[in-house]
Amino acid sequence: MHPGIIFFLVILGSVLFHIFTPWYWTDIASNWGGMDDTITLTFWVGGGVFVAVCLFMTYCVFKFSYKENRKAEYKPEDKKLEKILTWATTLGVIALLAPGLIIWNQYVTVPKNALEVDVMAWQWGWQYRLPGKDGKLGTTQVININDENPFGINLDDPYGKDDVMIQSDAINLENNRPVKILLRSVDVLHNWYVPQFRAKMDAVPGVVTFYWFEPNKTGEYEVLCAEYCGVGHYAMRGSVLVQNEQDYATWLGEQETFSDLIAKQQDLVIGDTKLAQK
Amino acid sequence: MSDEYDNNKTYQAQSSETMGGSAPASPDMDYVRPAEIPDQELYHGHSFITKWVFCQDAKVIGVQYFLTAVFTGVVGLILSWLMRLQLGFPGAAGFMTAEHYYQFVTMHGMIMVVYFLTALFLGGFGNYLIPLMVGARDMVFPYVNMISFWMFFIAVAVLMASFFVPGGPTGAGWTLYPPQTILPGTPGAGMGILLMLVSLSLFVIGFTMGGLNYLITILQARTRGMTLMRMPLTVWGIFTATVLAMLAFPALLVSAIMMTLDKILGTSFFMPTIIQAGEVLDYGGGSPILFQHLFWFFGHPEVYIVALPAFGIVSDLISVHSRKNIFGYRMMVWAIVGIGALSFFVWAHHMYVSGMNPWFGFFFATTTLIIAVPTAMKVYNWILTLWRGNIRLNTVMLWCLGFIVTFVNGGITGIFLGNVSVDVPLSDTYFVIAHFHMVMGIAPLMVIMGAVYHWFPLVSGKFLDEKLGKWHFWFTFLGAYSIYFPMHYLGFIGVPRRYFEMYDSPYMTSAVGMNEFISMAAFIVGAAQFILIYNIIKTLKVGKKAGHNPWKANSLEWLTSTVPPEHGNFGERLPVVHRWPYDFSVPGAKEDYITQTTPPSEVVHTEVEKT
Amino acid sequence: MSDPKIEGLQLKPGFRGMADDTGSDQTMFKGVHWGKAMMWIFLLSDTFVFSCFLISYMKGRGSTLVDWPYPSEVFALHVGGVSVPLLLIAIMTFVLITSSGTMALAVKYGYEKNRKMCGWLVLATALGGLTFVGMQAFEWSKLIEEGVRPWENPFGAAQFGSFFFMITGFHGTHVSIGVIFLFIYAYKVFAGHYENGGKRGWFTTMKGDYVEIEILGLYWHFVDLVWVFIFAFFYLW
Repeated sequence: MHPGIIFFLVILGSVLFHIFTPWYWTDIASNWGGMDDTITLTFWVGGGVFVAVCLFMTYCVFKFSYKENRKAEYKPEDKKLEKILTWATTLGVIALLAPGLIIWNQYVTVPKNALEVDVMAWQWGWQYRLPGKDGKLGTTQVININDENPFGINLDDPYGKDDVMIQSDAINLENNRPVKILLRSVDVLHNWYVPQFRAKMDAVPGVVTFYWFEPNKTGEYEVLCAEYCGVGHYAMRGSVLVQNEQDYATWLGEQETFSDLIAKQQDLVIGDTKLAQK
Repeated sequence: MSDEYDNNKTYQAQSSETMGGSAPASPDMDYVRPAEIPDQELYHGHSFITKWVFCQDAKVIGVQYFLTAVFTGVVGLILSWLMRLQLGFPGAAGFMTAEHYYQFVTMHGMIMVVYFLTALFLGGFGNYLIPLMVGARDMVFPYVNMISFWMFFIAVAVLMASFFVPGGPTGAGWTLYPPQTILPGTPGAGMGILLMLVSLSLFVIGFTMGGLNYLITILQARTRGMTLMRMPLTVWGIFTATVLAMLAFPALLVSAIMMTLDKILGTSFFMPTIIQAGEVLDYGGGSPILFQHLFWFFGHPEVYIVALPAFGIVSDLISVHSRKNIFGYRMMVWAIVGIGALSFFVWAHHMYVSGMNPWFGFFFATTTLIIAVPTAMKVYNWILTLWRGNIRLNTVMLWCLGFIVTFVNGGITGIFLGNVSVDVPLSDTYFVIAHFHMVMGIAPLMVIMGAVYHWFPLVSGKFLDEKLGKWHFWFTFLGAYSIYFPMHYLGFIGVPRRYFEMYDSPYMTSAVGMNEFISMAAFIVGAAQFILIYNIIKTLKVGKKAGHNPWKANSLEWLTSTVPPEHGNFGERLPVVHRWPYDFSVPGAKEDYITQTTPPSEVVHTEVEKT
Repeated sequence: MSDPKIEGLQLKPGFRGMADDTGSDQTMFKGVHWGKAMMWIFLLSDTFVFSCFLISYMKGRGSTLVDWPYPSEVFALHVGGVSVPLLLIAIMTFVLITSSGTMALAVKYGYEKNRKMCGWLVLATALGGLTFVGMQAFEWSKLIEEGVRPWENPFGAAQFGSFFFMITGFHGTHVSIGVIFLFIYAYKVFAGHYENGGKRGWFTTMKGDYVEIEILGLYWHFVDLVWVFIFAFFYLW
């Protein structure tokens, strides 16, 4: 068989695979549809270039395969053609870059009304903290973390006392409300990633990183760790439940705050001393 | 006017003036500048040891580098089999724990990128081809060159030793990101990582010795008439890649030193305050992201250290086997140099979601996509070289065509990942794995294979078997393509990379079948590589004699005094170069090639045509 | 091979001429010895090593949570009961810069084939380097006595000790290697390896030539130049 035929089939196969693939992105559940659109655009432009270049190559293979008595053309360069190709490529690249940068600008500009969520990661698990009635998260330090203070909140920070603590890998979010994810890690790199939300960012020990999104579809989603963090990396999962406003408010009301926790522990300590006194 | 083409007036008009370099215009067409450098005296080995072991001949050193690199490559291949076994058929290998899996991932990555591809292209092809192609007797510092190989050899030995130390090799991922790398919870966080860092440092030191040789040989030891713009693109590619390596490896060396100190002395360069398993560690105040910057300042140029020699070699192979000059030679040279220069300004595109200052994203996305332009120009020029050529569809050419398909595919997915916001959903998924394997794994591998089939007749004097070669090609090309093309779609689904086991998520279960398919393809592709080994052994025994310049190429490596070339390469007198290496199918000339050493007055013409 | 004397070589004038010469056959840098070109490229690579160290230092110093120690206090020397800031380091720097001067003179006398003067000056350079390393050892032991360690220090951020020992240590290694080579080359000069066409070197077919002194000089000046930066970054910032 002529090799050109196989190359042609490879290109054809690639295109058909793309059209009929049962594997494609999961349904989006956040505001980052723009990312999907840019990917689609890049697919059209890039895929077009791929097909064009490879078909041209295949055509050459058919048309110009070796013949004893033929002589190849002698043409060291063609400045005009090279110039046209350079500019066409440049324009194509600009057309792809521009939407990418616009969306990145949105990605790094967090809306003012976004709900801040402190996501704390460790080997290998997640826990979450939401601001209390004052709407502000208390400041934290890794060194403060212990059994009584699982998030390492600075005890002298008044904003910290009413923070809602969710000591579980599952969290609920309110539908159609922007969320600013503040990522912290106490040991190594992690990454809080929900494929349906498209967005991700590494959690880096020593600093707080962030990203934002707006869930726009109720339902439960799985959280994956997307930055290698040791042997338990693949098992470091969590979940997000996106709810409507009412359900969310109910759920939020049931959660424990930091002062609740302190009070409970004091009760325990008092209970312990009473027991000891008896 | 240049003396590039022969003195037939019909096409002197279309030749561009700088193609011929700067040989002064002279009434004598064959004029070449007088020699500037005295002939190099060589140390000829006498015993087996000085001839084949501690040898100072760049060609032998090249083969030593090649074989050592291939050995590491086979180790890397076996590791990839084990990984695919786990991913396609979880639990099929009983001994496979998550620790082992991550160790294999790490070692596979590091071996393939540094010890296989870099050493093979620069140490292997660089050593063998540079002196031959620029018309030198040997590298300028043969002794240092020999040390360079043995440093590499020790580096490989140290790396392999890490398989046998307590705790095994490091399993931190080939990027070795701290704080992960040196903390418990990572396999091999004791001896494994130390051996890895020591091995990398040795590699850098050894490479620096070799790299100085390549650069000075190319810059200061070319033969008479070999101007910069008459060098084969192979030399340009290796030259630029070596410059990149000389400037990029320092960052790796520095980060390796700092990490070693963090590990042994307990400094905190990269280590912030950490609580692990409820205990506060003795670290604090360091920056993990600093390491990532240092690593990728090395790591991105490293991609081009592998890619640029591949670009250069494939240009030469395509030109020779389509009997046509490479289209747009000057554009090709400037593209190589431009890509090399730009590669130092794009490193943080590996770090869009690393938590660095998000505003860097704008800068690095722009620089990254700028690189697409010279790269695309190279692709256009390759296919335009095929246009109206006289293409020999032999094994070498098949590998080149395979390279074009895989490289264009991988290059275009690179535009996805370089374009900062598109990278956000795709980074750390299988899309990335598919992309970089296609563009810097399979594509350069295609070139390596093409180069092996192309230059084997020079190295051994015998042709590799064409039929076996074609089987080897189709298995490898179709197999590798069917591994990595579907893998992109796993990334779209959202499957993260570096997952030991992944089938319990609802949207991932759909990928089970694909994973099995990919694994099967991987086993076949790996096994197909043994066709080449069989082919080489068979050829060495009963192969067809190749003789002088069997491909009818123009460049100097085919014009040696003997085949295979002896120590000193060119016999009594060094060749004198009169033209670029791409004078194929020159109108008016009788043969379809004119070697670089043919002076204009000696070109054999056809009968004068009446036009 | 010494810098080859090229018959009738004339570099072409102007930018165009320079481009022509650069792109011409045989050599890019006309008349430059292979070893010299190699040393320049090696030093370029080494510049990147030190740049990476110093940039990491800047980043580390910028991002640490604890205050950085005051260099004028840490590096002060007590002379007769008075604390003189940066005294030792001033002397060290002076010695090292002076040794650069003697090195330059050695190169000059080497090319003039003045064997004696060249040899003595190389030896003087070596002794200057040795003094520098000695004083650095003194400074290290003083800091260690005061409790500064790579992983901690009593004056502030632990990274101060880490970066100081690592970078001065790396530079000190460069100086020490230079000193060893200076001694070897001083011997070679005195022994006349560069006279009468030169003696064959070790493991090479190349004949010795005074250009080797210049190559060694390039390395030595580089080490001095790097010191100026380290001095500025650690002691003056």
